[in-house]
Amino acid sequence: MSLKTAKPIMHSAAWRISLWPTLAFAIGTMLVFVFLHRFVASDIQRRSDAWLSGEVQVLADVAERTPKDALYDRVVGEVAELAGKEVPNKDLSEGTSNDSVFFLQAGDNGSLKLWVGAGTGEPNLRAIQTRRIVPDHPTDLQVKGFGVPFRVASTRINDGSYIYLGLSERDELRVLRSLRLRFVLLWLLLVLLGFGIVFFTTRRMLSHVRRITEAASTIGHSDLGARVPTTEQNDEVGHLALTLNRMLDRIENSIHQLHTITDSLAHDLRSPLTAIRGKLEMSLSASTQGEQAEPIVSAIEELDRLTDFLNKSLDVAEAKADALRLTRSEIDLGELLRVMTDLYEPSMVEKGLQIKLHSIASVKIEADAALIHRMIANLFDNELNHLPTACTVIVRLKTEDEVTEIIFEDDGPGFSAEVIDHLFERRVKGMESNGHGLGLAFIDAVARAHGGKVIATNRESGGARIAVTLPLAGKEPTRPPIAANHRAN
Amino acid sequence: MRLLLVEDEIDIQRFLRTSLEESGYEVEAAPDGKTAERLVGEGPFDILIVDLGLPDQDGISLILKLRQLGVRAPVLILSARRSVDDRVRGLEQGGDDYLTKPFALAELLARLRNLLKRNSPALNEATRLRVLDLELDLLRREASRGGELLQLTQQEFVLLEYLCRNAGRVVTRSMILDKVWGMRIQPDTNVVDVHIYRLRGKVDGNRQQPLIRTLRGVGYVLKDR
Repeated sequence: MSLKTAKPIMHSAAWRISLWPTLAFAIGTMLVFVFLHRFVASDIQRRSDAWLSGEVQVLADVAERTPKDALYDRVVGEVAELAGKEVPNKDLSEGTSNDSVFFLQAGDNGSLKLWVGAGTGEPNLRAIQTRRIVPDHPTDLQVKGFGVPFRVASTRINDGSYIYLGLSERDELRVLRSLRLRFVLLWLLLVLLGFGIVFFTTRRMLSHVRRITEAASTIGHSDLGARVPTTEQNDEVGHLALTLNRMLDRIENSIHQLHTITDSLAHDLRSPLTAIRGKLEMSLSASTQGEQAEPIVSAIEELDRLTDFLNKSLDVAEAKADALRLTRSEIDLGELLRVMTDLYEPSMVEKGLQIKLHSIASVKIEADAALIHRMIANLFDNELNHLPTACTVIVRLKTEDEVTEIIFEDDGPGFSAEVIDHLFERRVKGMESNGHGLGLAFIDAVARAHGGKVIATNRESGGARIAVTLPLAGKEPTRPPIAANHRAN
Repeated sequence: MRLLLVEDEIDIQRFLRTSLEESGYEVEAAPDGKTAERLVGEGPFDILIVDLGLPDQDGISLILKLRQLGVRAPVLILSARRSVDDRVRGLEQGGDDYLTKPFALAELLARLRNLLKRNSPALNEATRLRVLDLELDLLRREASRGGELLQLTQQEFVLLEYLCRNAGRVVTRSMILDKVWGMRIQPDTNVVDVHIYRLRGKVDGNRQQPLIRTLRGVGYVLKDR
């Protein structure tokens, strides 16, 4: 019998237990990676800023020292272009294309004096003018027409013009992007791995617990002698199994003790009862069926009642301890109720009662035939003994998915207020009852022993209603009453 | 008919012996398993009555042991236990029978007769039963008395048939419940009496000679003479 394999994995305890540590682990590693990323990003920026500041200084020197002649533009331009080839973080594969660097010399009046780089330099100049770049402090600059911003360093040279050196942040961003991608992949891998390890270790551990649960749930169903599997490890799970087994030992002992007591009580009382009954019968056949036979006859009847009381008493006592022993076989309740109704109808009619059996189909249950027969006889006896003349008893059998309900309804006086709460206790009976007060307790005991229940109520329209619920064949509950697998004592 | 009675309770042994002898059995009694084994060795028995709770061994073990010794006679098991042991059920299926204590003598005798009949060569199953002027046609399921057809229900016919098959012998209420309705119950109401009362109304009516007789405290008899 498997209790949990049918459940989706997300409902398992292992799943829930692994989820929280994994979440904490994921957040922790994420924080570490964010911190690392910031550190790397600022380091890259510092390196490019250092390069920019150095180069812009070199270029300023060159620009200052180069005479302002026809060759000026060329010399400074060459130097600027050379500088562009030593850009940090540059992707080597991109090789010659050098649109990642620009050099710009702007005059005092804001005119473009020299431009080295891709395009005309006009948008760069305009961007620089609106941004107001402080010399010696590299700044980010967004230029129209370029997707990525430039990092721009500037300095002022003696002739009053400004020199700007811009480095596209494209390479820097690319490096960071690939770093981020690796971080995320690594993070995912770590989290999944962590979750996997936690989940599978937890599941392995819990599978021991599950095996114990499964084993424990079958114990008592078939026999009390079975024990849950124990592991060799001396851990919590091992202790759980051992404790359960010790508890089962004690329960088995108590149940065995109870059976021994009830059986020996029954045996010790039945033997003298047999002897007495035999002697009474012998004296009855010896004397003729005359007047002196009367006390003997009533003694025999009393004796039979006493025997019945003894049987029921012990059954009720065992059932109260969930220790009633059952020998199950298949019973057709519908058929049984029909036969019982046939049996009881003449007596009912004799007493002026009417009995109706409503739409009884064949309903199969797995139950102890002797007990179920006696229980249903008790239900009929109960009606017969308590109903005043001219009442009607309706017997129905209602079947739902896993249970069937034997319903007895009548239009008699119903249960009186003082007994209705204690109906199933031993020795509770109505004022005018002449039974031994075990009837309903016995019905309850049998129903319980079969994993069912009895509900007794007063109907709204007047009269009593007793409903006995029993599980259908093959649908017995997993928590059954404890029953020994053999009935020997 | 030689009968071996294995019962340790002296009181029970005594009254059983008396009433069995009255019914025509030749009774040998043993208080324990050992004596029983010895007695079986001395001569064959037609039938055995074995109590389950013997002082020296378990009744079932004794029966199995006797079977191994070659005893073929059917066994009526007496049990003072509350529930019927699986092993008793096994024996019951093998042709033996059981009776729980306390029991009615009539029932004990009826079960013994049944066991003997079951184990004797099968007679041709009669299709008609006749007791005095009462006649039952088992095929057409009709009963008539003195040539006059009786209006019986299905259930009443089965009950009358059972009484006829045991004509002249006492049947108890629990025997009727067992054989006619197929259940071993002990109702604390007079359900069987009412059925008999109704049947008697139809079978005897106000005829001269009533057939169904009540033995109070014991059961009923269908008179056969």
